[in-house]
Amino acid sequence: MRVLGIDTASRTNTIGLIDADRVVADFAWDARDSSLQQIIVNIDLVLKRGGLSLEDLDGLAVGIGPGSWTGVRVGVTVAKTLACTLGKPLCGISSLEALAHQSKTASALLCPLVDAGRETVYAAFYRVREGAPIREGEYYVGSIAGLTDRVREPVLFLGRPAYLHRAVITSALGPPARFGSPSDAPGGAAFALMSLPRFAAGQVDDPLSLVPLYLGESLAQALLRRREAEARGGRAPGS
Amino acid sequence: MLILGIETSCDETAAALVDDGNVLSNVIASQIDLHARFGGIVPEVASRKHVEAIGYVIRETFDSAGERPAAVDAVAVTCRYGLIGSLIVGVSAAKAMAYALKVPLIGIHHIEGHIFANILSHPGLPLPHVCLTVSGGHTMLIHVEEPGRYQVLGGTLDDAAGEAFDKIAKFLGLSFPGGPAIERLALAGDGAAISLPRPLGRSRTADFSFSGLKTAVVNMCQGRDRGSLPLADIAAGFQEAVVDVLVSKTLQAARRLGVTAVSVTGGVSINARLREVFSEACPRHGLQVFFPRPDLCTDNAAMVAAAGAVRLRQGEESGLDLNAVPNAPLESIKCPAKRC
Repeated sequence: MRVLGIDTASRTNTIGLIDADRVVADFAWDARDSSLQQIIVNIDLVLKRGGLSLEDLDGLAVGIGPGSWTGVRVGVTVAKTLACTLGKPLCGISSLEALAHQSKTASALLCPLVDAGRETVYAAFYRVREGAPIREGEYYVGSIAGLTDRVREPVLFLGRPAYLHRAVITSALGPPARFGSPSDAPGGAAFALMSLPRFAAGQVDDPLSLVPLYLGESLAQALLRRREAEARGGRAPGS
Repeated sequence: MLILGIETSCDETAAALVDDGNVLSNVIASQIDLHARFGGIVPEVASRKHVEAIGYVIRETFDSAGERPAAVDAVAVTCRYGLIGSLIVGVSAAKAMAYALKVPLIGIHHIEGHIFANILSHPGLPLPHVCLTVSGGHTMLIHVEEPGRYQVLGGTLDDAAGEAFDKIAKFLGLSFPGGPAIERLALAGDGAAISLPRPLGRSRTADFSFSGLKTAVVNMCQGRDRGSLPLADIAAGFQEAVVDVLVSKTLQAARRLGVTAVSVTGGVSINARLREVFSEACPRHGLQVFFPRPDLCTDNAAMVAAAGAVRLRQGEESGLDLNAVPNAPLESIKCPAKRC
């Protein structure tokens, strides 16, 4: 199965191509060079490197975030539109799950982190079962301190924010905290590889309705929700 | 030439199919109800809604035209002028479409789209003409020498006319968008009952300013009990002042350039009072006046496809590295094939 993997949710944007379990090409660029400007050019580059055209693909995998709200919309919109236009199946994969997947041989509880700006992170806990990371509990958005408060057992922290905040995490948790390599960010090919079991199981996403996983709302939306809740005489959930 | 147009520069997700000047389909998913709760457009909310809607809108565009994507000859998309987060969604979709279908892609300036809303509505629209394009996001006077060749004569120095309508409507406690709300209320008022300024009305420039007018309304109401305010007269007086400035500036530019026709386009061009005053004044000055058909007044993708057709015919094409630029000047076709 030939799958194109696309991820533009984080600062490193990637396009990868796999043929069955073989990585044909994997290309990354810095999002500051423009996700929008580069995405199709780089999809074309990766396909040409693999000697394939869009029609040869059996499916598309796309990172749906959490991450940069503006960035993820580029990859998701391109993937949706390609899938609809070409009639190819599409699989959306969360950035956090993709990070966890990089350490799927670890026995510890995994906690991938993605930068959420303003000193906060997106995170979730995953436990590896039969070679696949399965999420335990809800997604987390908040401070590092709030996250470490939730840890009850040895955890392997993953992702760039984990590496950057390792001193804070270690001082809060002590030895139970371990860290993955900051360079283990999943490339487009990793997203494509992760989609294989899903395609095999028929767990595809509807390209028309697929949207990013934002895990947060705009400030205006949050303010409005709070105001409306206050008007009803209650407190807004999550405020 | 069958062109798929895509437009997501602000709060409408739109796609259209235009075949040699015939609009085969023109689908617009409006987000107005969503933004009304905020009293204005929230960029992040708009961007998210575009991603949700874009696939359905494009599919509906093909379905209602009875066409298949494979029949498309080119894709035109608004890539300049608008909210950056919103533009990015439309440009992402358009690039993917063009790449998947192996057809040319052409990026269009949003304002050029509005110019074409009238050219598309009236194939006999004389050239050159003066175009007033006025909406919640912009107010501009443009000398349209021919399709693809423009000279921007002036624009607003502060608020767009539609934006002033929105803000005054909010101030008066009316609903969003403000244009229709003020227009409705003004019907019951006397536009001459309240004296309001005509900002830059006597200046010879083709520029506009609406923020002073807005302040004049606010100052007039200050310290007075809302119940005692003649709201309908205020709405009518405000609308009259905006219309007066828009019409007089446009006529002034038309006279100066010696054109025979005036084109009024953009969301505010649907305002009945604006149409009425233009329709009365233009014949007196020996000018014809044109307004787009109603579905082409507000943001739509048919106008973008029409603009794209002209540029493609002149040999222009955008690369797959096309970018979205929120604030870019309106540019003429760089090198019309027939001219160089």
